[in-house]
Amino acid sequence: MIAKIICYALSGLDGVPVEVETDVNRGVPSYDMVGLPDTAVKESKERVRSALKNSGLLFPMNRITVNFAPADLKKEGASFDLAIAISLLKASEQLIGADVSDTVFLGELALNGDLRPIGGLLPILISAKGHGFTRFVIPAANAKEARFLGGAEIYPAETLLDVVNHLIGAAPIEPLETAEFAVCKKRTSSADLKYVKGQPMARRAIEIAVAGGHNLLMIGPPGTGKTMLARCLPTIMPDLSFEEALEITKIHSVAGILGEEGIVTERPFRTPHHTATTVSMCGGGNRVVHPGEISLAHGGVLFLDELPEYKRSTLEALRQPLEDGQITISRSGGTCSYPSRFMLCASMNPCPCGNYGSANLVCTCTPAEIRRYRKKISGPLLDRIDLQVEVDNISYDELTSAGKREDSETVKERVNFARKIQRNRFSGCKLRTNAEMGEREIDEFCGLGAESEKILRDAFERMRLSARARARIIKVSRTIADLDGCENILPKHVFEAVSYRLEEKF
Amino acid sequence: MTKYTKDEQALIWLCACTELEPRERAELLRVAGAPAALFERFEFFYEKTFGRECPCKELEDRKRDLGGFLREAEEKGYFAVTVLSRDYPDGLKAAFPPLVLFGAGRRELLQEELFCIVGSRITPPWAEKFGMDIAQKLSSRFAVVTGLAEGGDLAAVRGALLSGKLVCVLPCGLDECYPAAHAAIKEEVRRVGLLLSEYPFREKTKKYSFHARNRILAGLCRGVLVLSAGEKSGALLTANAALEYGRDVFAVPYNPGISRGVGCNELLKKGAYVCTCAQDIFDCYGILPEEEKAAALTADEEKLYNVLHSEGELHAAVLAERAGIPVYEAAALLASLELKGLVVKAGGNRYGCVK
Repeated sequence: MIAKIICYALSGLDGVPVEVETDVNRGVPSYDMVGLPDTAVKESKERVRSALKNSGLLFPMNRITVNFAPADLKKEGASFDLAIAISLLKASEQLIGADVSDTVFLGELALNGDLRPIGGLLPILISAKGHGFTRFVIPAANAKEARFLGGAEIYPAETLLDVVNHLIGAAPIEPLETAEFAVCKKRTSSADLKYVKGQPMARRAIEIAVAGGHNLLMIGPPGTGKTMLARCLPTIMPDLSFEEALEITKIHSVAGILGEEGIVTERPFRTPHHTATTVSMCGGGNRVVHPGEISLAHGGVLFLDELPEYKRSTLEALRQPLEDGQITISRSGGTCSYPSRFMLCASMNPCPCGNYGSANLVCTCTPAEIRRYRKKISGPLLDRIDLQVEVDNISYDELTSAGKREDSETVKERVNFARKIQRNRFSGCKLRTNAEMGEREIDEFCGLGAESEKILRDAFERMRLSARARARIIKVSRTIADLDGCENILPKHVFEAVSYRLEEKF
Repeated sequence: MTKYTKDEQALIWLCACTELEPRERAELLRVAGAPAALFERFEFFYEKTFGRECPCKELEDRKRDLGGFLREAEEKGYFAVTVLSRDYPDGLKAAFPPLVLFGAGRRELLQEELFCIVGSRITPPWAEKFGMDIAQKLSSRFAVVTGLAEGGDLAAVRGALLSGKLVCVLPCGLDECYPAAHAAIKEEVRRVGLLLSEYPFREKTKKYSFHARNRILAGLCRGVLVLSAGEKSGALLTANAALEYGRDVFAVPYNPGISRGVGCNELLKKGAYVCTCAQDIFDCYGILPEEEKAAALTADEEKLYNVLHSEGELHAAVLAERAGIPVYEAAALLASLELKGLVVKAGGNRYGCVK
């Protein structure tokens, strides 16, 4: 008898339906798998055999053929185990009367018959639902991830035997209740702006950066709190919406880094070490393409500490995703796209010795050394960083107002206010933040008065700014005006935006 | 094509012979009497002068190639000013005169009255800004002479570029650029001002050529302003050479204890003129001051400026607090003051007052 069971494979963030066909014939006992299974799938033979035996079920001593369709798609991983086991049972007539035709079976089997969780469950469920499947059997350990999918019957099972009992009606499993998405109220990270001492300029800069979705570069001597400031970025970013959370969860699920929660409730903050390779940063892999750091940081912050220490080629690879908000990775095994709309935050020392611009320490670098150090970051990359701010090591005894420190919640309210203005502004188009504006939108939304135009012109002459810096300055001024609640960009907004641009040396 | 006399051609050839030391060349010329004579019978005069055969055989080959050398210079737009040329700067005669100066750009600038501005490579931001302003003002009456290095030189270059009355003397051939990162600005100087070098155009920078270049800087000008100089700075070499040739030396005063200003303060102790504004230099040459328009400031800008003016250099946050203005607004106001040329970023979020 032939049994057909539906299962899913992953291609990027999309699930692809795979039919597991099993035929059990009379003949010399054998067990073959066809249809491009990889090693992990072939090894399921042994897992399925043991799981069946240890669950008190019968492993048919016949000639067994398992086929995966479509045959041209390479199947990987252990997520087909459950589907193979069920199809074997069905084909060997151990599931009489059970209806398995429209059910998707997902899960890895342990030798004792337990169901183990699989990676990438949420993107599979979402794709499968899109393909019209509404009934799923999944490992109970994946239940948290699955409960946010509404409009489907999802049966979480602990063991293979549970699944069999459910299917034959002996002990039906309760379907999962759909959970409401709730933003995590208690943050896991302990960072908060109220612990940052002083740094009024940098605080302001990160507020603007987050409000407009701008990229940020912090330059300062070692030990001045650059990393601490960066860690505060997610704490002042707007809360995730359900759609965003789902999108991020899909990526994290594919990468297998989803936490206990089952859904991402906090904006990601990724800090790849500077030894990161281009592939780990952008994504890649041999046949299955894994998402890289930039995709894992989607919707959140990618923090590159000590920017000049990163490999040049790795940094240059960021340019296109920074522009497009997604990355398309091509391998001989196929092509796939991952979203990568992240906020880039980078930090660096001002010079090799770190003391350039310091009030009390002497910099021992020659101009040529400083130039060489800064040249490690290419112009085109620097160009995509709208705000460049110096973080200094001033002693804050000099400041009486140093005691008054805002916490992240207060700043976040202002950010939310500015974001709301932006949402209204871009309601007609697919943009979300000021930083995403192109030339057309700048013309439409960023009208400058005659005075502001003159300031910009002067700034270009005096500070020798490149022509390409112009659009960036205008976008930042737009965000500053939004924070101010101003409909028009005023000269003071332009001035402030100009002050976040480091002079480009001749 | 520029016509060179036989004597001038001989001098250009002699200059292209970098195998010979400058002193040897001068000696040879003295013995031979006329450059053309030396050109004709070089080996004879060499033996007569030094009592041995010339060890370099390339010099003879170069005689044959002289036409090609001149053509190439012409194609590249270079000209040669020799000691025999009518426009050879008189001032240089005091300074162990280079036999030939290769030039590119506006040759007529040699006729101008020249003033030299130098500074060490590591110059504080306020001094750079100060140097820029001075260079800009001086270029109304003088042509500014300087090098092409970072720091003080570059400040002077930037100040004088606007008027184009700018002469840069290179420590290498005109094809080369030292430091290489200043290639763009070198082209800019060539376009609006004048580049000079005593070396054939493919000659690379040597250790000693900075020293030799500094003597030309000092020789060309009427006076020298030293923007910044540490204890042992190349800028001091220029100043010393200038004193030797009887030029006026000006120096910018520094706070005691600032290592980048030790050399300047030493010069002042030894009797150099103090320079705190362009008029200090103009006064020396009897040039009357021009009315200067004060930049219009808003009330808040005025407040900030006054605080900074009394303190010299301050951190933006401290400054904002003392002026009673929120930090982020102060950032905007400071950017405005910077555009008006009154303050300058000193690194690490600190600002300095320049006027």
